[in-house]
Amino acid sequence: MDLHPPTPWTVAGATLTSRMMLGTALYPSPQAMADAVSASGTEVLTVGLRRLQPELGGGEAFWQRVRATGCHILPNTAGCHSVDEAVTLAHMAREIFGSPWIKLEVVGDDYTLQPDPFGTVEAARTLVRDGFQVFAYTTDDLVVAQRLHEAGCAAVMPWAAPIGTGRGPLNPYALATLRARLPDAVLVVDAGLGRPSHAAQVMELGFDAVLLNTAVAQAGDPVRMARAFAAAVTAGRLAFEATPMAERQTAQPSTPTVGQPFWHAVP
Amino acid sequence: MTTTPAPLSLNGQACDLPAEATLQALLRQRGYDVDAAAFACAVNGRFVPRSQWSLHALGEGDRVDVVAPVTGG
Repeated sequence: MDLHPPTPWTVAGATLTSRMMLGTALYPSPQAMADAVSASGTEVLTVGLRRLQPELGGGEAFWQRVRATGCHILPNTAGCHSVDEAVTLAHMAREIFGSPWIKLEVVGDDYTLQPDPFGTVEAARTLVRDGFQVFAYTTDDLVVAQRLHEAGCAAVMPWAAPIGTGRGPLNPYALATLRARLPDAVLVVDAGLGRPSHAAQVMELGFDAVLLNTAVAQAGDPVRMARAFAAAVTAGRLAFEATPMAERQTAQPSTPTVGQPFWHAVP
Repeated sequence: MTTTPAPLSLNGQACDLPAEATLQALLRQRGYDVDAAAFACAVNGRFVPRSQWSLHALGEGDRVDVVAPVTGG
């Protein structure tokens, strides 16, 4: 399949062709992850940071594998429950990866993993001041997204549904409102997408990109699903750029009515 | 009544203060390859840059965290 590539876009100073960012967790094997990354065509990979026990190994090997992809690395602050934790972890990430990119997550509720809007905005302001390029994970709340954009975030990343649920956009109206009210912001739908049709749906709304992990990694065939999402993201973006037709309430024939045979013929 | 000071902890586990009580000495004592780039440190929740490891003094009760890249979404 040779799809027309979507228009390149820019985030945090990087010009990208792929509009699909991909997580590195939950794959059946490291090789499956590498193959899915390759199949997706992604240029941005998210990674986490956790305590390193030298006797258990790890760390360096995973990092080497990720670095070999040549992708931009977007480390996250997943699991942080406070502004201080998130800011400290962001600084640790910047030293490890030599990059100011940070996916800011401040958890507000452990059951839904709903981000803490107050902590997220406060941490975003601090990190922007400290020179970070902040990709802020948030809900679909318009005012919080506005505050994050005003704070200088490189990207505002609303959820479609809670992390890992795969339920797709629970509130398309709210997502469409974000796009309409923040036309100049880089908006990336992060979390909750389960199927390629979900990705196409939000891309048709005009989102700049999507960020996926579980939907690809936990698919029966992650490599094939990575390809499916890539095609859907491209299709959705092309559709947005093409401006979909207006919906109508009533049927309207697409075949001309002029010259209709048997017109007004009485049986 | 006397109180026993909280021990030094590394990634949540109690450990002994090294003879040379610096962050770098602790890392070496615990088997970390301090020349490897793929990890970073914080003490008591504050980031300590690599350039400060050999200068950062540790004491009883300090909490040291060492993190490295892992899979993540």
